[in-house]
Amino acid sequence: MEITKKTENLVTVLCLKGRLDLASGAGLKDEIKALMDKEQNLIHLNLADVDFINSSGLGVLVSIMKEIRMHKGRLTLSDLASYVQEIFEITQLSHIFEIFTSESEALTSYQSVSAN
Amino acid sequence: MASYSFIYASVLDSEEKMLSDLATLLNENQILNPERYGFMLVVSEAFTNALLHGNQLIPSKNIYLHVEINKNQLSADIIDEGELGLKQIEAKKPSILDEPNGRGVDLIRHYATDAIFTEAENGGTKVSITLNRKLEKITY
Repeated sequence: MEITKKTENLVTVLCLKGRLDLASGAGLKDEIKALMDKEQNLIHLNLADVDFINSSGLGVLVSIMKEIRMHKGRLTLSDLASYVQEIFEITQLSHIFEIFTSESEALTSYQSVSAN
Repeated sequence: MASYSFIYASVLDSEEKMLSDLATLLNENQILNPERYGFMLVVSEAFTNALLHGNQLIPSKNIYLHVEINKNQLSADIIDEGELGLKQIEAKKPSILDEPNGRGVDLIRHYATDAIFTEAENGGTKVSITLNRKLEKITY
């Protein structure tokens, strides 16, 4: 899995490409841990180019979410392919993740929170 | 009918190798989404169980994958050489929403037309999965 990183205001945006599973998820966990160490705890994951995710990949996302919350941060997701979105719904994880249709919509939500 | 057999060592990298092999043979047989995604998902879930719970990542223990494709069905047998896989599946409790693990068997049961968990002849766990093609319950 490829991870590209950019920063939009205070939000770190990670664009994931490829499969999110048991093996590839370790790299994502390491990336998030490094961001937490640098106190960059506002994280957005763009999943537009994730073409496969299984329960191990979902488990990685749950671990990441807990890690970020432990650091009083925020995690958002966007651009899920329809079959990825369906897995979130089947497993009911759509109830515990903040999922947006697009990256811009997600980033706007951070501005709304900081304005309040 | 096309059939394929693979053997993998119980190391983390094997999952990527297996998914690449599976993607290749699905491409060869022109299996497209949503069948493609559903089949890759259920095979990967059974494979991960075999890797982690059955063979417990002991590299000398193998995972055997046999795939058959015909115009009506996609089917796979995933067999490990461990001793605990089947017991863990039988003892599975409902998954907890904010826990990282415990969703694999649920996803197999959701996407597969049929999923049978038995003890293999070698004493390991055998998971036999079938997906009927043009399955109406998979909709994207």
